Amino acid sequence: MSGSIHDAALLSVFDALIFQKTADRFDRVGDLPSWFPPSGLSQEIELSPEQLLERSFFLQHFLHEAQSWWDSAETGQWKSGLWSEPALFGEDVVLEATAVRHGSVRYVILQRFGPEILPIQPLLQKAREEQLSHRQAVNHHERTEARLGSRLAKSEQERDDVMAVLDGLGLGTIMVDANRKVTFISGKARELLQTDPDRMIGRSLVKGLPWKTEDSARVEAMGQLPVAQRQAVSVVMERKNRSTRALEIEVQDDPRDPRKTILLLKDVTEMEELRRQLVGPTQFHDLVGKCPAMRVVYERIRDIATVDVPVLIDGETGTGKELVARAVHQLSLRHDHPFLPVNCAGLTDSLLGSQLFGHKRGAFTGATSDHEGFFESAEGGTLLLDEIGDMPLSIQTTLLRVLQEGEIIRLGESRPRKVNVRVLAATNQHLQELVQKGAFRADLLYRIRVARLKLPPLRERREDIPLLSAAFFMKSRIALGKMHVLGIAPETMQRFLRYSWPGNVRELKGALEYALIHCRGESVLPTDLPPEMCDVAPAVQISPFCKPNERELILDALTQTKGKRAQAAKLVGMSRSTFYRRLADLNIVQEESSL
Amino acid sequence: MIQKKICMLGGFAVGKTSLVKRLISGIFSEKYLTTVGVKIDQKSMSVRGQDILLVLWDLYGDDDFQKVRASYLQGASGYILVIDGTRKETVDVACRLHELAMKTIGPVPFVLLLNKHDLVDEWVVECPVVSDLSDQACLVSMVSAKTGEGVEAAFSALSEAMLKS
Repeated sequence: MSGSIHDAALLSVFDALIFQKTADRFDRVGDLPSWFPPSGLSQEIELSPEQLLERSFFLQHFLHEAQSWWDSAETGQWKSGLWSEPALFGEDVVLEATAVRHGSVRYVILQRFGPEILPIQPLLQKAREEQLSHRQAVNHHERTEARLGSRLAKSEQERDDVMAVLDGLGLGTIMVDANRKVTFISGKARELLQTDPDRMIGRSLVKGLPWKTEDSARVEAMGQLPVAQRQAVSVVMERKNRSTRALEIEVQDDPRDPRKTILLLKDVTEMEELRRQLVGPTQFHDLVGKCPAMRVVYERIRDIATVDVPVLIDGETGTGKELVARAVHQLSLRHDHPFLPVNCAGLTDSLLGSQLFGHKRGAFTGATSDHEGFFESAEGGTLLLDEIGDMPLSIQTTLLRVLQEGEIIRLGESRPRKVNVRVLAATNQHLQELVQKGAFRADLLYRIRVARLKLPPLRERREDIPLLSAAFFMKSRIALGKMHVLGIAPETMQRFLRYSWPGNVRELKGALEYALIHCRGESVLPTDLPPEMCDVAPAVQISPFCKPNERELILDALTQTKGKRAQAAKLVGMSRSTFYRRLADLNIVQEESSL
Repeated sequence: MIQKKICMLGGFAVGKTSLVKRLISGIFSEKYLTTVGVKIDQKSMSVRGQDILLVLWDLYGDDDFQKVRASYLQGASGYILVIDGTRKETVDVACRLHELAMKTIGPVPFVLLLNKHDLVDEWVVECPVVSDLSDQACLVSMVSAKTGEGVEAAFSALSEAMLKS
């Protein structure tokens, strides 16, 4: 069937250019649309709608495509899709061609879409702009991530390089943040500290590091000082194999943030060992001193420690008996078990008995519950019975049985309990004399003095005074917050060397603390010392570099006082009776007559 | 005069329309205006003494919203694949369109343009990424529709290749 089905009036409603396809040409049907001629056409060139079909590259392409479709379809429509061709139709003109077939009748309809009637444009524009914006954001993030990643990698590389250099120099590094928490530990530092970094990272400087709390406090205090006043802090650590490691710790501010701290750790064990070999040991556990008498003490501690027998530690008050006991315990096979010091003086029989052996509820008035005594608490470890000379006789008897049987019986009980405790006893009294007086059991004495240690009084080891003073000074200035005090004046040291130290090392420590409290300058002066030390006569000249012994000291004092014993006693800081006894002990009486 | 149909192919906003505009009128607009449908322009060129009329079919960007209609490629003597150097995903679109072109019109000359070279600091596309396409293209060039860098040379190269083929 051929022919037309169009109605001109009806077609004009579409405002489109409509062509009917005949065998070899296209005939326009209906009225011209309102948009024809399109604005893009030059005014001089007047093109008919049919000529426009031929001039449009897109329509030529579409008509070729439409022909194939017409040839294959009976009915329906085939759309070209939107297009624009500014050279022909103008910049803003968007068109769409539709091929229509109804039986043998074929049309091409050309419709125009202006920006005002093309809803797809703004939607598509918005969707793509959003996609672009999103992509830009993603790109920005990716670039930032890449930049940061690269910066991080560079920083890590630099840090690794620095760490390698520090490790190569044998320096361990610990970083501490503004909140005093450990944030970083280098490989070398881990090696030096022999500890798991996970146990330190994020923990406080005081609690996180595997050295003594007081050492951490010294490090912390050093960091509070102005940089110019800081000194390396020496720390001695016990290693897993029981040997010691000496570290020197430099405290530095983080140059990037002074609230943060960098600790540089240096292993000086070997250097310390060499120094010790050169000058002899200056310290043994917590005991300080290098005089021959103390070296003997150190040797005897080593000998005694591993032999599991009772030890009697004899020494004047303040000579460090408890420190010796602790050293014995630390070096013994019992070091992983408790060390308990008990003072036996000034307690009643029942109270001391209860403390040592425990009691059963109701054993005496006030015993409201079962109580474990020190012997049980120290199970596997060491018990130090200090001032054993003051122990009541009844308790001595019980103690003797405990030492013999290895059993205790709590007060109020009859059942013995096995105990495995090493007993160390300390005294500043002459126990043999107490035995003679009947105040101390002879059998107990023989039992507890299987091994013996005698500590020299400080006046007999004056050469250790500078060493002890330095050690106490370093600890006390930090503990007392007297970091502005930098040292002890030579005249103060002279005073120390001349003083008799009846309270021994404990008194020296107390005197230094007293002086530090009162010290306002950079050095501890004689005027800062306690009153009892202020009237020490300057007559006896003792150099800290010589090795005076008591005998020489007394002889020197007698020479200077022309044999006047009372004055000489005052010079060396002894009571007259002690002075006379020492004269006899040291056989000075004969020599004195020749003075 | 010899007429040659060239299709501009690539993802959306890679700069196809801007490249055509730069070629035809020598101008560039910062404002992005998405192309709806097909936009047809013409450009006369002289290549080695031979005048040629390029009929440029600037096809809408291929994405999830609009897929390029294969029939638009029919009759093309060559095509230009455009990649946005700042967007990696436009490489995949270019590869897909290249496959479509191969399937539809066969192995005709094409050039591969990495556009937005003026933003080289923000580039994420590296040449090895597009190596498969590079091997087949008659020209791979870094161009900038904004500055005009390499634009005319790219069209000339394609024209020459089309004339030879």
